[in-house]
Amino acid sequence: MSTRRHALKSVAAATGLSALSLPLTTWSQAGDLVVAAAPPITGVFAFAGVGLNLGLNDYCEWRNEARGGVMGRRLRYISEDSAYKMDQAMSVFKKLMAAHRPPVFYGDSTAWAKAAAVEVSQIGTTMTSSPSFASDIADPEKVPYYFMAGPTYASMCYILLEYINGQAKGGVKPTVALVYSDTEFGRDPIEAAKGRAKQLGINVVQEIVTKPGSVDVSAEVARLRRARPDFVIFHGYVLAPIPEFIRQMREAGMTGTQFMGTIWSMDKSTAEAMGPAGEGWMGVMPYRYSHDVKDAPAVVTMNQFAQKRRPEIKYVSTFYTHGWLVGSIFAEIMERVLRANRPLTGPNMKAALESMTDWDSGGISGLPVNLRGHQIATGRIYRFDAGTKLFEPASGWIRTT
Amino acid sequence: MRIGDFRASYAHDEALLATPVQRSWMIGFVLLVLVFPWIGGSYLTYLACLTGIHLIAAMGLNIVTGYAGQISLGHAAFMGVGCYTVAALARMEIPFYLALPVGGLISALVGIVVGIPSLRIKGLYLAVATLAAQFILIFVFREWDSVTGGVRGVNVPPAQLGTWIFNTEGEIYYVIMACAFILLLGARNLFRTYIGRSFIAIRDKDISAEVLGIDLFRGKLLAFALGSFYAGVAGGLMGYFYRAITPEHFTLTLSVFYLAAIIVGGLGTVLGAILGAAFMVLVPEALRGVVSLVTVWAPNAMALLSPVREMVFGALIIGFLIFEPHGLVEMWRRVRRFFHLWPFKT
Amino acid sequence: MDWISFIEFSLIGLFSGGLLALVALGFVLVYKGTRAINFAMGEFMMLGAYLVYTGHTWMGLPLWLAVLLGLLGISLIALGVERLVLRPLAGQPVVSVLMVTIGLGALMHGAVDAIWGGRNLEMPQILPRKPLLWGDILIPGPIFWSFWVALAVIAALSLYFRFSRTGIAMRAAASDPITAYALGIDVRRTQQLTWVFAGCVGAVAGTIVASISSLSPALSATALGVLAVVILGGLDSVLGVIIAGLVVGWLESIAVGYFGGKARDLVPYLVVLAILMIRPYGLLGTRDIERL
Repeated sequence: MSTRRHALKSVAAATGLSALSLPLTTWSQAGDLVVAAAPPITGVFAFAGVGLNLGLNDYCEWRNEARGGVMGRRLRYISEDSAYKMDQAMSVFKKLMAAHRPPVFYGDSTAWAKAAAVEVSQIGTTMTSSPSFASDIADPEKVPYYFMAGPTYASMCYILLEYINGQAKGGVKPTVALVYSDTEFGRDPIEAAKGRAKQLGINVVQEIVTKPGSVDVSAEVARLRRARPDFVIFHGYVLAPIPEFIRQMREAGMTGTQFMGTIWSMDKSTAEAMGPAGEGWMGVMPYRYSHDVKDAPAVVTMNQFAQKRRPEIKYVSTFYTHGWLVGSIFAEIMERVLRANRPLTGPNMKAALESMTDWDSGGISGLPVNLRGHQIATGRIYRFDAGTKLFEPASGWIRTT
Repeated sequence: MRIGDFRASYAHDEALLATPVQRSWMIGFVLLVLVFPWIGGSYLTYLACLTGIHLIAAMGLNIVTGYAGQISLGHAAFMGVGCYTVAALARMEIPFYLALPVGGLISALVGIVVGIPSLRIKGLYLAVATLAAQFILIFVFREWDSVTGGVRGVNVPPAQLGTWIFNTEGEIYYVIMACAFILLLGARNLFRTYIGRSFIAIRDKDISAEVLGIDLFRGKLLAFALGSFYAGVAGGLMGYFYRAITPEHFTLTLSVFYLAAIIVGGLGTVLGAILGAAFMVLVPEALRGVVSLVTVWAPNAMALLSPVREMVFGALIIGFLIFEPHGLVEMWRRVRRFFHLWPFKT
Repeated sequence: MDWISFIEFSLIGLFSGGLLALVALGFVLVYKGTRAINFAMGEFMMLGAYLVYTGHTWMGLPLWLAVLLGLLGISLIALGVERLVLRPLAGQPVVSVLMVTIGLGALMHGAVDAIWGGRNLEMPQILPRKPLLWGDILIPGPIFWSFWVALAVIAALSLYFRFSRTGIAMRAAASDPITAYALGIDVRRTQQLTWVFAGCVGAVAGTIVASISSLSPALSATALGVLAVVILGGLDSVLGVIIAGLVVGWLESIAVGYFGGKARDLVPYLVVLAILMIRPYGLLGTRDIERL
C-alpha cells in the first residue's frame, strides 16, 4: 500500500477516534450549576469578548473558592466562541442547551439576544444575559428571561445628549453627528436618540453608518467635515474604526470637535489606541473603573483575584468588570431561588431577579442596583485624561429612565 | 463477495436497490434513522438535524455544480430566499408542508434569474457572477426591512401539524429527515431520466450537447432552478430549526462551505452529498472535542478554536482536491469493491 | 450635493482607484500566467501586511527592512503554494483550481487569526498622513500617496514585462506554454515567478491598505470588491485594470458620498453583474474562443 494511502487511512482513523470524544465533553457532575456562555472570543469584537469571557469565568471560580459556590453547589462555567456571528452563536446556544440544560446563559450580541428571546421565553428554563443593552429587550413583559447589567443604549445616548445640551453657549445649541455601525447593536438607539435630540432642539447634522470592524473611512470623514458638527457620538463599536475616524478628523482640521462614545468603547485600551487624539474622549459608563477602589469592596476583590489568577493582566478592563458583575447577578438570582427552596425554572428566576430592588453590587455600580425593570438604570459620564491614561468622572451617578 | 447478481430486465438494471443485500441494508438504515432520537440523545439529534439540512442544500449544489457543471458561489443566498419566504408564510399561519414547497419555488425563481448569465458566460466568469449575486442578495436581506426584518432578522414560528407543534430537536428531526428522504430520492431519480442525463452532457462538453440537440439555455436554467429549489427548502427547514434567522446565516462562508462539502463528498453523486454534509458537520464537532481535551494542558486553547477550525476547513479542501479529487465517495467505492471481490484481490 | 463636494469625492475616488488597480494587478498576473483566479489574493495582502507589522513592531526592524522581510516572506509562501498546492492540480478543471485557492485562503486566514489574534493592530506609518488642502477640497494624505506608489509599482512591472528577458519569457510562457518549452524557456520557473510577483504585489497593496485603515484579519475581505475592477478591465489586461481601477474607485466614492458607507458593499457587485451581462470579457480582455 502506498504511503499516501497509509497516511489517508491514519488520518481517517484519528478523526474517527476523536469523534468518540464527543460524549465525554457532555459529562458533568450532578449538583453543579452550569453557567453557559457563547462570548465573541474571536471576530470583530474579540477585543471585548476575551475580557467578558475571563470576567465571567473568573467570577465563577472565585465564587467556588471563596463562598463554596451557590448554596453549596459549585458553579461550572462552560463557554464556546461565537466569533460574533449570529449563526455560530445560535448553534452554540442550541448545542449547550441540548447538552447541559443550563439555568443561566450568557449570549454574544444584540442580534442574538433579540433573536433568541422568543425561543428562550418558550423554553422557559433559562435566564439569559448578554453584552447587549438594546432597548427592545429591556421589557419584562415581552422578554421575561433577559436582563442587562446596565442602562439601555438609548438611555446612554440620552445622558450624552443632556450633557451636550448643557454645553450650549450663548443660547446656540451645539450640533451633533451620529456615527454608528450597521449592526443590531449599532442601530438600536439611533431613532430614540434622534427623537430626544429633536426634543432638546439639538440639530443632528450628519448620520454615518459603517461596517463594525476596520474599514476605509476617508469618504465618511469627508462627509463629516462638510457637516462641521460640534459633537460626534460613536455607537456600535468596540475599538475600530473610532481611532481612525478621530485621527483623520483631527488631521482634517476638526480640532474643536468633542468625541463621545457609549459603554463598549469606554475601555482604557480604546482610549489609549487613539494616541494623542484620545485626549478628552468622553462617554457613558455604568460601572466604576477598576482603578477606582474607594468604597468599592467588590472592585478590590475582583482586582485581587485577577492579579492572582491572571498575572498577565495589568489593568482590569471594563469588559472583565462587566463579566464579573453579570456572574455575581447570575449567582445572586440562583441563590435567591434555591434559598427559597424552589426549583431553578424561568418564572422563579424572573421573580428572584425582580426582587433585587436594592441590591449592593459591592461598588461596581455606583448606586444600589434595582433590577425590577431588568436593567441597571444608572451610569456616569467619564472623561479620558491622556496624562494619567485613566478615565475620570465628569459627572455624578445619574439614574436614567 | 457478490455472486448470482443477474439483471434480467431493463427495470431491474435501472433499479436503485438491485440486490437483496442492498435492500436489507437500506431497511436497516431507515430503521436506524427512525429510532435515532431515542437512542442518540438531544445533542446527537441536534447534530443529525443539522446534517439533514446541510444534506439537502449540498444536494442542490451538487445538481447545479456537480451534475450540470455550473459553478455557483451563491448557494447560501438561495437558502436565505427560501428561509425568509417560509418565515413570512409561517407567520401567516400556513402549514409547513405548503410553506416549504412554496419557499423552494420562490427560491427557484430567484435561481433562474441568477442563472441567466450562464448563457453568455461560463466557468470562472459564471462563478464570479454568482458571487456578485450572493453579495447583492445579502445586501437585499439586510436592507429590505419590511420583508426580511433587515439586520435584526425574523423569528420563525415552529412547524405545526394540526395541533402537534414541532418544538424540540427530536420532533423537527422527523420533518427534516422526511424532506431529506423525499428530495434525495427525487435527485437520484432525476439522473435516471433524460433531463438528468442532459445535465451531465452539458457539464462534460456543452457545445457538443448543443450539437446533439439539447437546449442549453433551458437545461442550464433548469439546473439552477432545481438547485435553488433544494436550497430554498433547506433554508426553510433551517428557519424552523433555528427559529431565529438573520442575514448573517447566509454569507459567502456558507456558500463556500457547501462547495467544500460536495468536493469532499464527491462531485456528481447523491452519496457524495450525504457523505460530504455529514463530514462537514462532524469534523468541527470532533475538532471541538479534541480542543477541549487539549485544554487540560493549554488552558487558552479554546480561544483558538475558530481559527483552527478555519484552517482545518481550508486544509481539508486542499487535501481532498490534491489527493482524492473524487471525494469520499471514491474512498467508499474502494471499500465496497474490496468487499465485493473478497476473497479475490482484483 | 454641491459641486465642491462632488469634485472632492471624485478626486478621492480616483486616487483610491490606484490602490484598487494594484490589487487587481495581482489577480491579472496570476490569471495571465496560470489561467486561474486566485481567490486567496486578499489573504496574501493580509499576510504581507502582518509580516511587515511583525518585522517592524515585534522585531524592531527599521521600516524599509521590515517591508523587505515582508516581501521575502510572501515570496517564500508563494513559492510554496505554487509547488505544493497548484502544481499537483495542473490540468484539472476550473472548479478544482478555484476551490483550491478558496481553501488556501481559508487556511491562511485561520493561521493569521490564530497566530496574531483577531484584534485590530496599529500599522507603522508608511505614507505621509498630512492631508492635502486644495481650496476647500481635502484629500487625505495616505490616499493621495498610495495612488502614486501603486502607479510606480504598476509602471515598474509593465516595464519589466516589456523589456527584460525574464519578463518576456513569462509572457511567452503565458500565451503559449508548448512553444515556450520548445524554445527552451523553463515554463515551471516562469509560473513560480508569476506567483512570487503576485504575492509581492499583494503584500505591498495589503501593507498600504492596512496603514490607511488598521490591521486585522478582516483585511482579506477587501480583495473581493476588487473583482469588479478585474472583470471590468478584463482578466488578462494590465492597461484594462488601470482604467477599470480608476472607474470603479470613482464610482464607489461617489456612491458613498450620495448614499453612505453601505454603498461600498453593493456597488462593486452591481458593476460586476452589469459587465458580465453586457461585455463579459471586460474593456480590454481577450475573448476566449472555445473549440470542440
